[in-house]
Amino acid sequence: MKIVYSWLKEFLPDAPSSERLEELLAGLGLETESITRLAPPPSGVVFGRVLQVEPLEGKEVRRLVVDIGQEVQVISGAPNAKAGMGVALALPGTLLPDGSELRVRTIAGLESYGMALSPKELGVGDYAGGLLEFAPEALPPGTPLAEAWGPDEVIEVEITPNRPDWLSVYGVARDLAALGLSLVRPSPKPQTTPLPLPFGVWIEDPEGCDRFTLSYARGVRVGPSPLWVQRRLYAAGMRPISNVVDATNYAMLELGNPMHAYDAAFIREGLVVRRAQKGEKLVTLDGQERTLDERDLLIAVKDGPQTRPAGLAGVMGGLEDEIRETTSAVALEVAHFDPVRVRRTARRLGLKTEASYRFERGVDKDGQLLAADRFMELLQAWGGPGVQVAQDRLDLNHTRPHPPIAFRPAYTSRLVGLEYPEATQAEVLRRLGCTVEPTDQAGVWAVTPPSHRVDLNIEEDLVEEVARVVGYEQIPTTLPSFFPHPDNLGVEAPYEANERLKQVMAGLGFQEVLNYSWSSPEECALMRAPAPTVFMQNPQTPERTALRTALYPGLLRNLQTALAQGEEGPFLLFEVGKVFRQVESLHLAALLCGDPVPGLWQKGLGGGFFALKGLLEAAARNLGSRVRVEKETVPYLHPGISGAVWWNEQKVGQIGALHPAIAALLELPQVFLFELTLPLSKGSGGFVDIARYPASMRDLAVVVPDATPYAEVERLIRAGAGEHLEKLELFDVYRGKPLEQGQKSLAFHLTFRHPERTLTDPETDGFMQNIIAALEQKGFAIRR
Amino acid sequence: MDIEAALEEIGSAPNLERLQSLKVQYLGKNGRVTQAMKTLGQLPPEERKEKGRVLNEWKRALEEALAVREAQLKEQALQARLEQEALDVSLPGYAFPSGGLHITSLILLELVNIFRRMGFSVVEGPEVESEFFNFDALNMPEWHPARDMQDTFWVDFDRAAEEAFTIQGPFGEEVNGLGGAVLRTHTSGMQIRYMIQHTPPFRIVVPGRVFRYEQTDASHEAMFHQLEGLVVGPSITMADLKGAISELARGLFGKEGKARFQPTFFPFVEPGVQFAMWWPERQKWLELGGAGMVHPYLFKAVDDYRERQGLPRAYQGMTGWAFGMGVERLALLRYGIPDIRYFYQNRLSFLRQFRG
Repeated sequence: MKIVYSWLKEFLPDAPSSERLEELLAGLGLETESITRLAPPPSGVVFGRVLQVEPLEGKEVRRLVVDIGQEVQVISGAPNAKAGMGVALALPGTLLPDGSELRVRTIAGLESYGMALSPKELGVGDYAGGLLEFAPEALPPGTPLAEAWGPDEVIEVEITPNRPDWLSVYGVARDLAALGLSLVRPSPKPQTTPLPLPFGVWIEDPEGCDRFTLSYARGVRVGPSPLWVQRRLYAAGMRPISNVVDATNYAMLELGNPMHAYDAAFIREGLVVRRAQKGEKLVTLDGQERTLDERDLLIAVKDGPQTRPAGLAGVMGGLEDEIRETTSAVALEVAHFDPVRVRRTARRLGLKTEASYRFERGVDKDGQLLAADRFMELLQAWGGPGVQVAQDRLDLNHTRPHPPIAFRPAYTSRLVGLEYPEATQAEVLRRLGCTVEPTDQAGVWAVTPPSHRVDLNIEEDLVEEVARVVGYEQIPTTLPSFFPHPDNLGVEAPYEANERLKQVMAGLGFQEVLNYSWSSPEECALMRAPAPTVFMQNPQTPERTALRTALYPGLLRNLQTALAQGEEGPFLLFEVGKVFRQVESLHLAALLCGDPVPGLWQKGLGGGFFALKGLLEAAARNLGSRVRVEKETVPYLHPGISGAVWWNEQKVGQIGALHPAIAALLELPQVFLFELTLPLSKGSGGFVDIARYPASMRDLAVVVPDATPYAEVERLIRAGAGEHLEKLELFDVYRGKPLEQGQKSLAFHLTFRHPERTLTDPETDGFMQNIIAALEQKGFAIRR
Repeated sequence: MDIEAALEEIGSAPNLERLQSLKVQYLGKNGRVTQAMKTLGQLPPEERKEKGRVLNEWKRALEEALAVREAQLKEQALQARLEQEALDVSLPGYAFPSGGLHITSLILLELVNIFRRMGFSVVEGPEVESEFFNFDALNMPEWHPARDMQDTFWVDFDRAAEEAFTIQGPFGEEVNGLGGAVLRTHTSGMQIRYMIQHTPPFRIVVPGRVFRYEQTDASHEAMFHQLEGLVVGPSITMADLKGAISELARGLFGKEGKARFQPTFFPFVEPGVQFAMWWPERQKWLELGGAGMVHPYLFKAVDDYRERQGLPRAYQGMTGWAFGMGVERLALLRYGIPDIRYFYQNRLSFLRQFRG
């Protein structure tokens, strides 16, 4: 919300500078977004009165004769130019806010001596659809506009949704006054006349509307508002319309109660507050036809047995009953509506207005008559000499007083951790407008908040008020000291294991990436990942319509980007993150592209599948775990280079080469991947005493068909060797002469050791015999 | 035999092989000195004695010369080998890959460790969350304007599908029925989940991804990370909160770090706080997050849920505090990174700069 400094100062005569105000407001919980200095209009912009408007044949522009102390000719295309209006005229030589210098120009063959300005051209507002319009007598013609529009400041503050009472100039002043600044309370006093009220009010939906006031004035002359009013409205971010509409906006910005002025000639017998019927239609002030439903609250005009929609309660009025130039009698509605209903309607129709914004947060239920008085006072000042304000008004009031809050001053000290004397607490609460009464119970007060503080409902709310006004900077610093509940102790945190896993991966040379959680069915299909199960109702882009079902597609996209951007390889990437299938689960995926230890001036490692597998094995060893891979076909992996990963004899994921078809689609070189489901089980990690007896070594070479997996041979050897085989190392895989075509030889070093004594040669030979027997039984030959 | 010539020959033997053959030539079984010694017995005693003495002297001289020359040659050979083995150690080593954690992980680790030192446990919650845990139980009912503070990604499941997604509650129970489903807009939903599952007192921090329906620009991302903290006990105060945030500031910025509180509003705390930390190095306050005393509404919502699960109410008379802070924001400020979008574009030239 934008607060005009000079306006605020009307209520806080001792208000300090805007910089100091920013600090005070921050201490109260009101954050300043910006402080803008309003410069006066450039010199050369003067007040002018339009004497004549002549159309030029065949031209869109018109010829204006403007009185600026002398008559000048101005050519203007503004649609709202009319004789008798006051305008802001920039004379030749004026430096406009956009930096350009205005000159005498020839338009449509005629010289234009200056330019009549729109709000946008003068830099006071966004509106560029017509001229700034002033009352003809607002200033003597030719007066520099800067004389009426002196320098000012606008403090833009961010209002938290709990504090609708801050949504007005007076509301902000009132809170600042709690710090001790003296406050001028508004006391509008319109001159009233006994007039019969020509209408009635009926509330058919008291849940939607618990207060409705309707006031009446006649003899109004509709026209532009005074110059200073227009300035303030522009500065507050609103566009002046006419004196009547401006008075509603001005009173709302000042006091916080939204209000709506009707042309009293149109409201017939009066107004009914009722639910809309499904499908009922209303053209709102913005010219849009709205289709309503039963939960929308409607203000309707009563016309005999019929009622006709005239406005969406608390959101926007209807076009039909708006104030026009011909309006002379005004009916003013200041009401209170159910915040939820207003919010629902505003949401559904995408119609956020100054009124709905305030109503949905909660306006003062007791401020209606004061606000109406302020409107009438302004109307009398701005609406011409003949304004008569009716003494009587309608006020249907079903509001309930705020129940008092049971408040223990000792609780403030207990919750904040600072001793607040009772006298201080009572003083602060009273300054905020609360009534503070003792109760029968010792140490308990009955505190009734003022009607504008809709946010004060429980004891903790009052604690905040005391702490806030005394100042949060007074709060000391201590640390929570307690012994946790025993159930919460000794609990293993999976987070720590994953932290460690990430550190191990990084230590092995992998760079962690974090990809978005989004994906799409198309991306999953392309990547041959499981189809998504969680879909976005409001996707931001076509690539983000669902949640990811695997991590590796993200890694592949990262690799694609890295290659396109010429990043330096080799690429070792990993991610630990959530994937979404039937449930949400945590995965680890890693990618290798290139040789992890590349040859530069010397020979490199070579890379390939076994490089990635070796890194996975190293990670497992690092974590005290065992990993093995068993052949398995995986949709996204090369059918000949893919397998299931078993971690401590639990199947946890897949490893392999990216399927060449996907690699071709993504234009990627050969890539190796693994993806595992976390958490990984912990290794047994037991202690075995350091070996004291010498080991006994043997070598063995087995000839097997090419298709036989290593794992099968290993299993046979281990099964045959018995418990004393300490280590089995594959040191050679050989194909070629003298072996037959389709055969390979696997050569092993075997290490045997007994924990309690030295193995004898015959013993070790016995183990070897058993191994050889097991292999030969499978039909495998031993190379001797 | 010319002993001088022999000694000369030994002294200039070019290598160990030649030296060995000289040794054999003079002192071997059939060597000249050995042979001459063998002939001593045929000489008359007088001559024998004199010749024996000379031969022994020669033998000793030869042995000494051989030993000296052998040492020299070995030394030369060692020198030659050392020279031959010498490397240009200024050449680059093997290019072993150097990995690292993502900058977000690094900052989270740092934050989490500061809280671990204060006795906090680290827990995590789900990213797809029910409306109940993300909003309702946090005192943000439907149609409450506070929901405007967080633009939300709403999600759908194909509930008819055989393998449909389910959101699980704190005890693994299905909670798909608790309102709509969202990508969590904050980690605060975990306050509710943790409280339902645990009996106070406790201290936890919850790191995690959160999502906001925002147009992205240099300072806004639709996905980012938060660290949530929650402490509940019988006499927890706002001063304890200030102390913990001050300790966080010291952990991050050194002894001179400190915290500043200003009032603000979050529906799930009362009183509410916006906190800033003093960064001594740059002499400025960094607005880093929101906090406050746990709103009694949450304790009630939690106890109601516990009761429905057959657990005793555990939060009456408790007080607590919670905080939430943006992780990327801290990283942006600290490193002077100009654009938050760098974080999840995952450009390696960005990520590889952060090590530690």
